[in-house]
This record gives sequence, C-alpha cells and structure tokens, in this order.
Amino acid sequence: MSKYAVEVENVKIRFNLASEKVDNLKEYAIKLMKRELMFQEFIALQDISLKIKKGESWGLVGANGSGKSTLLKTISGILQPYEGIVKVNGRIAPLIELGAGIDPDLTARENIFLNGMVLGHSREFMEKHFDEIVEFSNLEKFLDSPVKNFSSGMKARLGFAVATVVNPDILVVDEVLEVGDMRFRRRCNERMQQMLSGGTTLLYVSHNIESVRNLCQYAVWLDEGKMRMVGPASEVCDAYAEEQETQLRKRQAEKRELLRREGKKYDYLIVGAGLYGAVFARELTRRGKRCLVIDKRSHIGGNIYTEDVDGIQVHKYGAHIFHTSDKKIWKYVNRYADFNNYINSPVAVYKDELYNLPFNMNTFSRLWGLKKPQEVQAKIAEQIADLHITEPKNLEEQALSLVGRDVYEKLIKGYTEKQWGRDCRELPAFIIQRLPLRFTYNNNYFNDFYQGIPRGGYTKMMEKLLVNIDVMLETDFFEYRKEHPDMFKKVVYTGMIDEYFDYCYGHLEYRSVRFETERVEEANYQGNAVVNYTDREVPYTRIIEHKHFEPEEEQENPKDYSIISKEYSMEWKPGIDPYYPVNDEKNNALYEKYRALAEQEKKVIFGGRLGSYRYYDMDKVIGAAIADSAKELNIWIQ
Amino acid sequence: MDLLKYRFKTLFKYKDLIRELVSRDLKLKYRRSFLGYVWSILDPLLTMVVLTIVFTRLLGRKIENYPVYLLSGRMLYDFMKDSTNNAMKSVVGNAALLRKVYVPKYIFTLAKVTSCMVDMVLSLAALLIVMLVTRAQFHPTILLLPLVILQLYIFCCGLGFFLAQLNVFFRDIQYIYSVMLTAWMYATPIIYQLDERFPRWFHIAVKGFNPMYYYIAQSRDIIYYGNIPGPRIFWGGWLIAFVMLVIGVWSFQRSKDKFILYI
Repeated sequence: MSKYAVEVENVKIRFNLASEKVDNLKEYAIKLMKRELMFQEFIALQDISLKIKKGESWGLVGANGSGKSTLLKTISGILQPYEGIVKVNGRIAPLIELGAGIDPDLTARENIFLNGMVLGHSREFMEKHFDEIVEFSNLEKFLDSPVKNFSSGMKARLGFAVATVVNPDILVVDEVLEVGDMRFRRRCNERMQQMLSGGTTLLYVSHNIESVRNLCQYAVWLDEGKMRMVGPASEVCDAYAEEQETQLRKRQAEKRELLRREGKKYDYLIVGAGLYGAVFARELTRRGKRCLVIDKRSHIGGNIYTEDVDGIQVHKYGAHIFHTSDKKIWKYVNRYADFNNYINSPVAVYKDELYNLPFNMNTFSRLWGLKKPQEVQAKIAEQIADLHITEPKNLEEQALSLVGRDVYEKLIKGYTEKQWGRDCRELPAFIIQRLPLRFTYNNNYFNDFYQGIPRGGYTKMMEKLLVNIDVMLETDFFEYRKEHPDMFKKVVYTGMIDEYFDYCYGHLEYRSVRFETERVEEANYQGNAVVNYTDREVPYTRIIEHKHFEPEEEQENPKDYSIISKEYSMEWKPGIDPYYPVNDEKNNALYEKYRALAEQEKKVIFGGRLGSYRYYDMDKVIGAAIADSAKELNIWIQ
Repeated sequence: MDLLKYRFKTLFKYKDLIRELVSRDLKLKYRRSFLGYVWSILDPLLTMVVLTIVFTRLLGRKIENYPVYLLSGRMLYDFMKDSTNNAMKSVVGNAALLRKVYVPKYIFTLAKVTSCMVDMVLSLAALLIVMLVTRAQFHPTILLLPLVILQLYIFCCGLGFFLAQLNVFFRDIQYIYSVMLTAWMYATPIIYQLDERFPRWFHIAVKGFNPMYYYIAQSRDIIYYGNIPGPRIFWGGWLIAFVMLVIGVWSFQRSKDKFILYI
C-alpha cells in the first residue's frame, strides 16, 4: 500500500460554462447549424498537485469561488478531472453537505438506512450501528416521523450521525459544520477530533481561518483555481489572513467611495454601535429614516460586546447582567434576544473567608453567627453607635456610620480602595450615599422584577438590533465627518462629550478597568459568575467566570475548561477606554459647561453613557434611546 | 476484465442501496393513500373495466375474453412505460444528491426500473383475479411468464439508461418521449388484435420494428392462448433486450462523467 492517502497530480478541472445554457433540442439544433455551439470554458482548477500522507490533516483556504469545494469534490470522486490524476487510498467519508440524500417523505428511521446505503454501507452494517446513530443524533423520539417535519438542525444532526458512523480513512469536510447551533458544531468538532486521533486523514474546507489553524497541520491556499501557497497551516493561514485584511480594507474604502459618489445620503449618522446607538438607529429605521452607524472599534456592541471564546460567551468589557423593573423595556429587549433566568448573586472573598453579597442575612450570619434579623440589626446599631460619628468627613467614616466596623473592614474597605486607587480616608464621603442592608436571606443582587442574560451573548442581540442598518466599523467620527461632511443630515453622538468639543474646557474624568482573560483547564473554576476579592492584598477586584452566565448552555454542552477574567481597576488617562464617569462636583460642573455647548449644536444629539456623562444601567440606556428617538421624530414631523 | 470485475463489485456493494431505493419508491407511492398496496391491483382492474366497456360495448369489437386479453398485454406495456419514464428522470431527479456524494449514477436508474418491476409483479394479482372471475383457462405455459418479465426488465434497463443520460443534456426529451409513448401504445396490439383488418405494411412495421410486440406476443401466447412462444419472438425478445441494454449502458457510460456539469 502506498503511504499516501491522497495523491493529486497536475489536476485540471474544466467546466463548460455555456454562456446561455443549451438544454433543449431546438436550441441545440439551431446552434449546431449556425456552428455557434461554442462553450465558454471555465477552468475551475489548474496545476493542482498534492500529496497527502495518511493521518495528516489538511485545510483548504481561499475566497469564494477559488475552487476549494471543487477540489474536495474531485477527491471524493464526484467530479472527474479533465486532466491529471487523482489517486485515493482508503474509504472516503464525504461531508460535503449534511443530509444529502435525505428524503423528506421518509421517516428518520428509513432515512438512516437510505442515507447509510447512499454512503455505501450495507444493510447489515447499518443495523449494527443503528442505535449508535440514533444516540448521537439525539432523535429517539422522532424516529418514526417524516423528516419533512424536522428542523434544519435536526436534519443536520441526522446527516452527521450517519456520515460519521464509521471511522473513515479519509474524512472530507466542506463547511458543513458552520451550520447549526453552537452545541451541534461543538459536538461535530469533538467527533472530528476523535477521528483524527484515530489516524483518519482529514481534508477540511472552511472560511473560518481559526478552525483551520486549530484542526489542520497543513494548509493549501487556493486562489482562482491555482495553488497560491502550500505549507504548515499556521504559515498559510497567516498569509491568507493578511491578504484578506488588505482586501477588506480596500473593499471598505471602495464602498465608502462608491457611497460618496452615488451621493447616497443618510438622515442620521449614529456615532457608536453600542446599546444607545443601536436602539436609536433601530427606532429611527423602523420609522423610515436612513441611518448609518459608525464605530471606532472593530466590533459592534460597545461595552456590552460578548465574544465567543471556545464556545463560551466572554463579556469582553466586564460582567453585564440585564435587569429592569420596566415591563415595556423588558418586552423590548425580548424582541431581540431570548433571556435566560440568570440571577446575579455574587460572593465576596476576604482572606480565607467567603460571604454572600449583597449584604444580607447570609452575610451577617456568616460574620457573627447570628440567625435572627433582630439580633443582626441590634449588632449593627451597636457597632455604629460605638463609633460616635456625627458628621462623616470621608468615605471611611461615611461607610462606618452606615454599616459598622465589621462589614466595612471585611467587605468594603479593601474593595473600594482598589477601585479608586486611594485610601478610603482620602475619598470623599459622597461616593457612598447609602449602603442597602437586607435583613432577609436573599442573595439576589438586584431588586428588579426582570433579570437575565441574552442566550448566546449580547453580540447576537446587538446584531439583531442592527439588522438592515448600514454599519461601518473601525471608522473614526472626526475623520469621517471631515471626509464626508454632507453624507448625513444629523448626528447622534454617543462618544465622549468632551472629545466632541476638543476638550476645550479640559478633560472629564473617568474610572477605568482592565481585564486579564485566560483559559483554565478546569470545568468549574470558582462556582459562580462573579467573585469579588475584598482584601487589599489581592490585586484584582474580582474574577468573572463567564460560563456561569449561561448555565443552561453549560448543561447542554459541558466543557472541561473555563474562561475567566480578572478585573483590575485602573487610573484613567486620556486614550484609555473610559468606563465609569466620575460624577463628583468638579466633573459634574465641567460636564454642565459642555452640555451648554451641546445645546448650541442643533444638528447633534448627545446620548449614552459617554455622551451624557452618566452612569447608566442597560435598561436605562435603552429607555433613554427610545425616549430620545421619539422626541427626535416628533421634531421631525413638526 | 478487471474493469468488469470492479463494476460487479461496486454493484454488489450498492445492492442494499438499490433495495432500499426500491422499497422507498414502493412505500412512498402508497404511504398517504387509504388503500395502499391495493391500488397496485385496483388500478389495472378499473382501467381494464373502462377499456372493456369502451372496446366491446361502444366499438362492438369481438375478442374472446377481452379482459384477460387486454390485461396480459397492458400490464407489460404499463411496466415499460412507467419504468422508462421514471428511469429517464432518475439522474436529473437526484441531482442534489449526485452533486454531494459519490454514488454510481446508474444505481438510481436501476432502482427505478426495479421498483416498477416489483410493482408490476404485485399487480399480477389483478390478472389472476380477472382470470378467476372470467373462468379463463389456466395454461401450464403461464409458468414461462418470469422469463418474459426478465426479458422486458433487461430491455427497460437499457432503454432507461439511454433516456436517463439523454435527459441530462436535453430536457426536451421528456416531452418528446411522452408523445412517443402514446404513439407506441397504439402501435402495439394491446387493446386491439392485429388481424387482417390492418394493412400489410402495418403488420410488417409492428412485427418487425416494435420491440414491445415481441414481449406482448410472448405473454399473450403463454397466458391467453396457451402456446409456447415461437422461436422468432422468443429469441428475438432476448436479442432485442440485450441490444437495448448494450446501447443503454454504452451511452450512459460514455457520458456519465459529464453529468455533474449539467445537472
């Protein structure tokens, strides 16, 4: 036997791309008589030579129409090469499309057999593996219903289960795994990994370069039917990604240029693809206005952006838990996402002690071993009375006068100092207005009626909000305005208000945080989404374990690893991502001055957390965007 | 020789697929109907009743035990018509699949002809019922029927292959063929008897150039008349069947690699 699984030598594939398709006799006869029966040749592949050893994994990358699928089909025997030789040693399992050969009128049971036999298995073989297929596809309950009633995901599961029932010598996969939900994709990936470790040769086509990088040792870059590069997957992928990037930039520039030349104008230019901007854009678009949303960042969503890291939605800019008591807003967001029933109940770690948050009977009973609310209330009153603070001069005294010494020292002091980077005695008292104490055993952090996390992450919700709205990423407003001053009639600005006025009165101050995100090889790192670290010695303020935001996803697809983010407070300087406005007297006064300027700008609406220099919960942002857009539209009508 | 061996090996490998496709066709044909398989019998029976009334009552022709005469010819003709019609569409109809998976393409054509044959064999019950009801005589020659069916099956495979590959390149053939089938039916003595009322040239044309005549004449001989078929129609039937098969396989083989570009 040859040591190669697949040998491809100087293969050329030619299609007769009849410029007009001739498939009836009359046309054929006429063209034949006129000697016009000339086909336009189309070379789909040319000079392709590959030698793939057994057990290797190869990825094919390239733009649409570069011939990736054609090459796979040639290797699978579906297409015959026009020139050249294709030799295959071993049995091929083609996963070119899941569920090819599924007959919608037959039941799942009948289809399993039919599909298996289309792939060349015998009846006996299928009977032996029937249970295994049913188990993998998870369709026990629907075995005897016709497949036409199945969802596309169910069909895909069925197809994949049948196609992979046997460990083939060569597995050919063509982007099939990019359909279906994440859970299915992951299962497919696991199965493929399992096959690979069993010595299967893999041929893999994907648009997702990362998956090629992860799965494949070698890669081929096809460009208009020719091999542009062959080599180790990482090198080829890097080169390809780089090329794609430049192409993308070129296209973006072209698009902008085209828009400019066509003179397509927008009613509104919305600066910032965060929650405020997206809701505003959605509301305006709904009423027939044309909006263009631009954002400096390379993604939509602003600070609520979530990113899929190994199947876990990572809250890139910190934990975001949606909560509201406003039924209308709850209904509004549910139009754009399915919310789970996540309830935020963080815990705090102080040295080697662990306490429930917010401060409630669980916390107190852990602190003092007391059980009854009356006892706790008495204890706190006693601690406060002991201190004899009449007029708090700083944050420390303020906090002490509200909760007493024990709670303050273990749970407030260190955390607050890390947050502000200063000693509590140097911090003004007003930062803490009140410290709610709960005398019930209730760990739910928020008091709102509705609470949850959008299933599949916030980014998905943002995508839905921005459907059919033009979005340009990596676009700076000030540059854009300079280049295309007459592309839009009005601006909705959600950036920093002081930046808009070129910091003419000086900088507004912010508090900022940074995250150190890492993957840990533990299925459950800390048992909770948010754990605060309240002693000063631990440098970070908290650790977020992202998978716990979507427990239902973890239940469906248990993972033996986890993604955690350590959150550090940091001094804000111009140029750093601003997070929280510092609403002290000085900054508020400065903001008022900017706001006065903003009111002069008749063609600009300022909004959002940065545009109105306010700390906003997500529901409040949405409420404000809806209200502001309604106001805007009324003005328009008048 | 190796190639032939290889072909038989793949055919063997895919035998279960053929079986599965055949059983799918049969299952789907009657899945939603109330009477199911009974229609395979009822359909020729009812058609027979209509034709009998038209032919003997309205046209006043006299053919002894017309129902058996009619059925012994019509069932074979219907088999040929259905199987070749289905076979013609078998490659184009499975385009979605053929573009995705490697399956020998003739499998689908073969499966269609086979499922039509199974259907025909099932509907032989109709003939049996009619023969019992009309108290027709059972001749021992009826045992030769499988041989006739086999000849026709081979013939239909050949014609099916030919039409299937032609249909890939010229979809017009579907319409042309349906007209041809109508003409072919009238050119075959199914509902009438080829007697002296017809001109001589018609006799020659039918007996010389109509392949269906060979099969229907054989089946009439063994079922209706109780004769052993004459060597001319018997061996002629085999010869035509194999010639058609060779033409079909050859034309199919020649163009099968190009199918993918046209479906």
